[in-house]
Amino acid sequence: MDASARRPGSPHVETRLVYAHGLAAIITLLISVVFGTLAAIELVVPDMASGSPFLNWGRLRYDHTQGILFGWLANAFFAFLYHAVPLLTGRPVTGARLGEWIFGLWNFAVVLPGWILVLAGFSQPLEWAEFPLIIDAFVVLCLILAAIQFLPPFFSRGLEDLYVSSWYIIGSLIFTLFAYPMGNIVPELVPGAKGAAFSGLWIHDSIGLFVTPMAVSILYFVIPASTRKPIYSHFLSMLAFWMLFFLYPLNGTHHYIFSVIPMDAQIGAIAASTLLGVDVIINVTNLLLSVRGAGLFPRDLGLRFVIMSAILYLIVSIQGSVQAQMSVNQSVHFSDWVIGHSHLAMLGFATFAAAGGLIHAWQRISWARYDAAILGWAYWLLLAGLAIMVVDLTTAGLVEAHIWASPAPWINAVRAAKPFWAVRAVLFVPVLAGFMALLAGLIVGPRGGGLKTVQETIGLEPVEEIAPRFAGETV
Amino acid sequence: MKRILRMSYLAAGIGGLGFFAMSVLLLGVWPARALDRQIRATQPDHPLPLTASEQRGRDTYGHNGCPYCHTQQIRYLDRDVRRFGAATLAWETIFDYPQLWGTRRIGPDLSRESGIHTDDWEFAHLYNPRHMVPDSVMPPFNWMFDGAPDRPKQEARDVVAYLNSLGRNRALAALQGEARARAGCNCSEEEKRLAFDQPSLNASPELPRRDGATPKLVLPADSARGLRLYASACANCHGARGAGDGKGAVGLLPRPTSLAAHEYTADRLSAALWNGVPGTSMPAWRDLPIEDLSALAAVVRSFSRTQFAAAPDEAGKAVYSDRCAQCHGENGAGDGPAATRFPIPSTDFRIQRANPDTARNAIRDGVDGTPMAPWSSQLSDDQIAAVAQYVRGLFRP
Repeated sequence: MDASARRPGSPHVETRLVYAHGLAAIITLLISVVFGTLAAIELVVPDMASGSPFLNWGRLRYDHTQGILFGWLANAFFAFLYHAVPLLTGRPVTGARLGEWIFGLWNFAVVLPGWILVLAGFSQPLEWAEFPLIIDAFVVLCLILAAIQFLPPFFSRGLEDLYVSSWYIIGSLIFTLFAYPMGNIVPELVPGAKGAAFSGLWIHDSIGLFVTPMAVSILYFVIPASTRKPIYSHFLSMLAFWMLFFLYPLNGTHHYIFSVIPMDAQIGAIAASTLLGVDVIINVTNLLLSVRGAGLFPRDLGLRFVIMSAILYLIVSIQGSVQAQMSVNQSVHFSDWVIGHSHLAMLGFATFAAAGGLIHAWQRISWARYDAAILGWAYWLLLAGLAIMVVDLTTAGLVEAHIWASPAPWINAVRAAKPFWAVRAVLFVPVLAGFMALLAGLIVGPRGGGLKTVQETIGLEPVEEIAPRFAGETV
Repeated sequence: MKRILRMSYLAAGIGGLGFFAMSVLLLGVWPARALDRQIRATQPDHPLPLTASEQRGRDTYGHNGCPYCHTQQIRYLDRDVRRFGAATLAWETIFDYPQLWGTRRIGPDLSRESGIHTDDWEFAHLYNPRHMVPDSVMPPFNWMFDGAPDRPKQEARDVVAYLNSLGRNRALAALQGEARARAGCNCSEEEKRLAFDQPSLNASPELPRRDGATPKLVLPADSARGLRLYASACANCHGARGAGDGKGAVGLLPRPTSLAAHEYTADRLSAALWNGVPGTSMPAWRDLPIEDLSALAAVVRSFSRTQFAAAPDEAGKAVYSDRCAQCHGENGAGDGPAATRFPIPSTDFRIQRANPDTARNAIRDGVDGTPMAPWSSQLSDDQIAAVAQYVRGLFRP
């Protein structure tokens, strides 16, 4: 293959759009955390919602998870894409103007009105699909625009020797475009148990076909870009990629085990969930072998977040495989165990990946402010908050499961969970402080501080060498 | 070579989309078709769709996150079936656009909520759940009311109407419908056991029932433990000292009984606790251990301030036979011929006794929320006093 013929010129990174989506990500994240915190406090002080539909627990919970998905993670992923796609392909994204439209629509036609409509009592009681149907129209529009924005660079470059991050990006953008309408609209048209089969698919696809591929793409991007070393095995990366896209969509029904949905579908989903754990073991092994020598807590904060994300990905996936087993699921399903699991996935794996990707991109914006010390605080506060929360909620789930299996009155389980809920509510302190530190680390400090850090440590890689490095390396 | 590579990526791309299509077919379309067949083979002939009010209530229920704490799916597991009742059949959800199965249970499953609680209880609970269940963490929905639990706005009425529809179709299907579903469900013996062969469709320990064996309570002498239980489970309606003046009592008709104004036999207390009081907001407490029920009965006894002896009153007996026996029975056993269809059973005077004032007031003014009518226009004060004296004399402690 003639490498010089393919070698592109300097790809142009739209740093303005990286910056805009990055800021929007963290601001919507802080708001989402406030929603979550209020909901957590209401489980301890339920009469806080007295007299006001706007403080209703259910509405706050909807806004919390939708804010995390659409506000924080999606914006952070967009920021990462604006940084990574030109470097992966050697080509600019389709258009800066288009980018402004996507930014505006996403934040002001999806996230903001979505939140307001939910608080005003217009929502859809489907998990990961709580924004009302009118918002879905704009989500789909934005997903189409995002495909137009980010996919052509890959296709015009050609798919030969495509680096694994690129595969995840392409896969995620295309699959979500299909999965989103399926999960949001089909249950409105297909009732009850039949609709639940489709809902189950989307509950998993939102995480498995949107969040996970984007996050894994960040892990595979940031690790070699920060260590300046090739990843351990391209073969394993591709094996894990195809396993993920084969297995992840087949997991959905594991949300409805022991339901009236045909047992064969349940067993198939459980088998896929089990194999998925194997896939993640392969993937994370490859990632951690790629980063060996860097230490568990490297000085580069983008890398530090990303390494922890990979570890959390392994833990949460193995946990997922375990809790999909009938013997475990019958006990812990419906309990706080699952809430612990979802926080381990979203606040742990996905958030650490998104934050790592964001910090990594930020370091490479010449005019962006950057303060490594504050970001270090963010890391430890978030890790501590996450760890305590997961242990707390997992224990609460086991206690609830134990009481539910006994003949004791239902309310006993609520009583027993209260101390755990109180601890979880208090955890907003480290988590919110951590996210505020994440924001502060990216908006205070000297301009170009990130770039200076990179130059002083591993040195800045000439941009025209990055794309060929991603493309050309093989083991 | 390059050409072949391009082809392979094309194939991979198509294969990738194929994975998604396969997942939708295997876990969405195919199960939905299987469910469709099962629904056709098992559903009763004319399941009731939701009324407009119930449908609005359902929307409100969804918009406020209710399904995120209350599932509407009883799994095919003993631990679910024991608590909530027969496992959920596919046809029970045919009107659910979108489905509300839920994946989290903070409160109990509501698939079989209809029939467990009275409307009054539901309103009082919706207004502020802690008025009815002190340890509840459910948000208060008092913004659906005009300032009091007995003044619900349309929104609250709709929600309660919806709650009363949950499980209704399965209950209406009755024996014939169940037999048909059992024959057509194409499910394993284990699934049949969990979905059909249960002692009752609704296993809620709170479900009131009119009769049924009740446990023998042995009332303990020490009431310390009972007082704690009473404070956490009963005081919110019956009041801290049993005067029927708890904050949950507002809006309940009939009003929660003043326990202090009555004497009860142990069996009467056992029946009220174990079976609840049908037609009133008093739920059953079958999920409490017998020792707890015994301790509670002892506390209720200790509140009683009606230790006056009552001499038989012959004048009262004549009025009673004439006016009261149709419902309360010749012997005062609450088994009069007119009472058999009452939603609330007539009082059995042999097992409970009101204090003189309470008895007279009940006869003169009636008992709001029950079939007991006011007699002040029919009977003189002397006659009322005489009847009151007479029925009090029927008590057999």
